[in-house]
Amino acid sequence: MTDSFILGLSSGSACLATCGMVMFPYLMAGSAGVKNIAIDLSLFLFTRLFVYIILATVSWYFGQALLTNPVIRNIVPGVLYIVFAVMLVWYSISKNRNPDCPAKIVKTLNKRKLVPVLLGLVNSLGFCPALFIILTKGATQNTLVHSYLAFIAFFVGSSVWFLPLPLAGKIQKKEVLKNIGILATGLAGIIFMIKGLTNLIGGIING
Amino acid sequence: MDNSLKIATMKKSFGISLLYTVPMFLITFMFMTGGRPNFSDPSSALAVMSAFILVNILYFLMHYTGKTDKYRAVLFIIFALSLSFTLIRNMVAMRNSMSFSEADILECKIPFCHLVIPMMILPAAFTKSIIFPGSIIGGFANISSMVVLWLVATIVLGRGFCSWGCFYGGWDDGFSRMKKKPAIKKISGLWKWMPFAVLIMVALTAALTLMPTYCAWLCPFKAVTEFEQVTSVESAAKAGVFLTLFGGLVVVLPVMTRKRTQCSFLCPLGAVNTLSNKITPFTLKIDKNACSECYKCVEVCPLYAITREDIKSGNVSLFCSKCGKCVDACNKNAIHYGIKGIPPGTMKNFSRNLFLFVSFLFMAVFSAGSIISTLQNLLKLIF
Repeated sequence: MTDSFILGLSSGSACLATCGMVMFPYLMAGSAGVKNIAIDLSLFLFTRLFVYIILATVSWYFGQALLTNPVIRNIVPGVLYIVFAVMLVWYSISKNRNPDCPAKIVKTLNKRKLVPVLLGLVNSLGFCPALFIILTKGATQNTLVHSYLAFIAFFVGSSVWFLPLPLAGKIQKKEVLKNIGILATGLAGIIFMIKGLTNLIGGIING
Repeated sequence: MDNSLKIATMKKSFGISLLYTVPMFLITFMFMTGGRPNFSDPSSALAVMSAFILVNILYFLMHYTGKTDKYRAVLFIIFALSLSFTLIRNMVAMRNSMSFSEADILECKIPFCHLVIPMMILPAAFTKSIIFPGSIIGGFANISSMVVLWLVATIVLGRGFCSWGCFYGGWDDGFSRMKKKPAIKKISGLWKWMPFAVLIMVALTAALTLMPTYCAWLCPFKAVTEFEQVTSVESAAKAGVFLTLFGGLVVVLPVMTRKRTQCSFLCPLGAVNTLSNKITPFTLKIDKNACSECYKCVEVCPLYAITREDIKSGNVSLFCSKCGKCVDACNKNAIHYGIKGIPPGTMKNFSRNLFLFVSFLFMAVFSAGSIISTLQNLLKLIF
């Protein structure tokens, strides 16, 4: 659960770094105030949790169907962890990091109440390296409950970054927070690279 | 006023320097001997005397030459080396090894260090328990004494703790002085936010797992203190991580950049100490009237704490550890120790004398035990 939480932390910081500029205006639009923003934020987070529960179920069933050999269960995730972790590190160090956020599509919506729900949907399905890693993890869990727990830890970790949103207007030095978030992403990438290597070596030794 | 005269303002005559050293002389004498020097054991007496003389000569020279960092670094590096020597020696005497086992964790026999403090806060608040497997009071390097020492030093010195109190900082400080010119000159300023990212990660993961995750996975100083026994692929990975971080951030990069890269880019306590610079009374000030914007201070700062923009705005950033390297490099005496509330360019000598007394006294008293113990053991080895 710890590594899923760390991954969530990294994913949340990356989302906030890239999507913050799209999400702030919607979550804080009009005369919202802290209470209304908190309601919007709850809807946004609830949608994300719902999507993650579905992904946990799907990934676990895929894992049960495809990763049948115990050695493969270590080696395949090990390789995938390393690949996705390298992508995560690359994201944090790349100067050409894509600033576009998939949540931009919600700009076309007219109904404001649907915005947090759709933002949550788009945000949780934004296929980034961190999501690939947690899908890999979900697929390799022994039971469905463990897969749920991994995704919930991932959700909690990523949500930490969104909690200050109701107070976003009062936060100064947003650039500093963005930098810290990006560095945390790279750090999580390194952690998962090590985890991948550990899995891979463990799998080879046990095989 | 010409440059030589301006430099001379920080220098003092032999007699005045001696006079400034008297309080340090008396206090360190009391701390090192308990007021009753014991000459019954010659090696012990020689060790105490050597440490006492070393500390007081360095303090005297700070006043006599007007240079700070040069003499601070000598004691700071000796402190780091002697602490590691003492710790390793104790570990080997207790366990016949630098590594600790599961049993040592269960019996709470792990010496505590200040780097754990940021990870302890959240779990302590929620569970009312200390997550580190060490002794709370009593025993070697116990938790309560280290927390109190760190707290007092941080309130008084702010991030000055990192250059005057941390017993690890001397390692990368030492390696950063090995080459005269840096091989790597430019590193992005973005990296100096890394300790904050590490701090967030380790504080939250420690709260979630109720384990000191930084110690378990990241701390590079396990290479010179103690580490987990390698019994599995995971513990081997942990060993690989701390050895890589030690080699990279404490040895290779400091040599290549002439900067304290571990302190600048990894240490989570450094991040906490950076924030504490807001409350400390001591700071570094830039006298804009005297500054010629030569940027020597920017070049020599080991913690990336001063930028060209800081010089232009006349403020040193919160990342400053008050090591004094920039103060020594400035031949206009434009950057100087100051006290909050006192305008830049005024009371330079008073501020420096006060800061040096407090910070050096802390380092001298804090380091005395391990320096004396190391000297004793070295003397026993020689004779």
